[in-house]
Amino acid sequence: MKILLAPLDPVHDAGLKLIRRKLEALGYHCVLLPPDITVEEIGEAALAEKVDMIFVGRTVGYGVEQLFRRVRHVLTVQGVFSKVRIAIGGMAVTTELAQSLGFEAGYGPHTTIEEIHALIERNPELARHITHPVKHKPKFPFPHENTIKDSTTQKYLDEIVDGILDWTSNKTSPGVVRARITESQLRGVHGSVESYTALPFTRDYLAQCDEAVVDFFQKNICPPSVRQITQQEVDAYNHRIGIAKKHFHPRVLQHGRRKPLVFVQYGTGCPMMDGMHIKVAESWGADGVLHFDPAWGARTEGLMDGFLANVEDGTPVTYANLSLIKRSLDAATLWTVRAHRGLNTPEIAVLSGFLGADLTKINIVYGSICGGTDPARLTVDGVDAIRIAVRYHMPFDIPTNEELAGVPPHKAFAGMLIMAQLGRRLGAQPILKPLLCHGPYIMVNELMEQNYVDYNFAKIRALQTLADFPIWPGEPIGFMTHSEEKEQSATTTSLHVAMCSTLGVDAVTAASTDEAFSRGSITSAGRVGALRSIEEAFRFFGQTDIAPSAKANEWTEALVAGINQTLKAVAEAPSFVEAVYAGVLGNKADGVYPGRAGRNSVIATEPSGVEVPIELPADLAHRVSTFGE
Amino acid sequence: MTTARDTIVDALDIESFVLCESEKEARELVGKLMQSLGLSRFVIVSLDFNGPGAHFRVRAYTNKPGDNYTWLKE
Repeated sequence: MKILLAPLDPVHDAGLKLIRRKLEALGYHCVLLPPDITVEEIGEAALAEKVDMIFVGRTVGYGVEQLFRRVRHVLTVQGVFSKVRIAIGGMAVTTELAQSLGFEAGYGPHTTIEEIHALIERNPELARHITHPVKHKPKFPFPHENTIKDSTTQKYLDEIVDGILDWTSNKTSPGVVRARITESQLRGVHGSVESYTALPFTRDYLAQCDEAVVDFFQKNICPPSVRQITQQEVDAYNHRIGIAKKHFHPRVLQHGRRKPLVFVQYGTGCPMMDGMHIKVAESWGADGVLHFDPAWGARTEGLMDGFLANVEDGTPVTYANLSLIKRSLDAATLWTVRAHRGLNTPEIAVLSGFLGADLTKINIVYGSICGGTDPARLTVDGVDAIRIAVRYHMPFDIPTNEELAGVPPHKAFAGMLIMAQLGRRLGAQPILKPLLCHGPYIMVNELMEQNYVDYNFAKIRALQTLADFPIWPGEPIGFMTHSEEKEQSATTTSLHVAMCSTLGVDAVTAASTDEAFSRGSITSAGRVGALRSIEEAFRFFGQTDIAPSAKANEWTEALVAGINQTLKAVAEAPSFVEAVYAGVLGNKADGVYPGRAGRNSVIATEPSGVEVPIELPADLAHRVSTFGE
Repeated sequence: MTTARDTIVDALDIESFVLCESEKEARELVGKLMQSLGLSRFVIVSLDFNGPGAHFRVRAYTNKPGDNYTWLKE
């Protein structure tokens, strides 16, 4: 087939040159006319060259309709219009414009060579992967050795993990008991949301719950910020989601790189608003999403049920809410439900597992010193939650957002590695989640005065030196580097993504451009803004890396030493739990302290089967404060 | 859904630049602008005054989480 490429601009013909190169590579014979030609010369060339098809390009946008109207008139007079197939293209050209003027097709600035090829051959299948892209769910986390590489670190971690498993071996809690009841009930109804929601809540379950949850089930009283969503709303929502799915075209952000995957966190308070935000995020390229629950949910014994909306941050965890969100997801989207920090940690892991969540989130240390939960209680519950994660094949990530309160990175990372090694010992797949932030410790010690690159490099390199686990910085990356200004916020997020790309991490959690805006909820447009900026950063850097200065090596060594020093102090403590109470992994001077929710709720399981509540000595913190720091 | 405004998922942001001589004046102008557009429930997301005036982004929520969403109406 012979194709005439005709630029109708005084100087611009780069687009047609590119098309010529690609069409010739596909085996077509192309004739490219020079710029600064008349419409009449196009027709004359078409007749002289006996071409089968003409592409007329007009880069400049103004007056485009009048110009192509004249093209049609002149080519009709010359007898070309009826004999030769003609398509038009350019910055202001649309399919609608081309069809209204009687041309075969019109192509705009984002048209791909595959689409032009499909047009030439009149075979839409040739561009199907462009026009109807398919995104497959990646097998995540990506392969790693999942081992500790440093022998000193390994020794301390083994001692600590041995102690945790021994300490928890004869203990249970209301959270663990509820998780067993919930799991049994879900098995009884084969995971059916409708059947589970219709089940009467048993006295055994309610006996392990706080009054607010008992009131919800027995008196139908919701907490002040919560309302029940009607079935009519759910039906209308499902209809909306159906429309969104119908028009969904997946988008890949990474521009040829396999990683990092890009996750966004949701938790607007309402599962329906969450679902709509998820559809927006998926459509603009997010690979995964994370469910965030309200803070009060973590401090309340027991979970409510049904479709519930919370007017504050964090969407209540109920089986119905999670199932509504799950049904909204695209098949390629990875789904994480955080269980990690509160009194319902094992139970949330059960619900997530039954609904087929891809991942969960568990960190005993963070939840104990920053999440408000008693360390002893969360150690019992956390170990149980990891076992549940294993049963339901959910890898779990270990966030270290205690850095935001002022905990030095080496302490936060020591806690994270303890969790990772505990997870491996129990057969789980842990994922390290360092926080890339301009946090208080970093500010006070002026570690990012020069740039945001060197110290963040040091943090990731320190972890990569000590162990080979998947690394997924969050939550979100660039925490405390964002401002309320949209452009600044999007830029800092995208630059952090580019840095993470160089560091070879497996995934990132990205903020919306509303990250620093605290006077209202996050908007869907804010999610689009951040994801577009990330896409552009991937495009800009491609396979090119960012290089840190020599300072990064110095800080890497300091972090490695600090992590091992912290682990040594934990290993030397009477127990892991007492080390947490004593502040070895973060103390009041750092800005954190042991949580109180669930204090004295751990129950010893005697060999006789009798359960005995454990009361911790009042002077525990004093007794154990002689080691560590 | 009955109007175009009902199709907004959560909020309408307006971004522009106003000519003024102080940040205080800029905030007053933005407030008057939003009132004139019939968007009395608004919040200024960002406002940066310098030189000839202020670059601002102001937001009017149409649907907050937990509301009865306009985009779920028939």
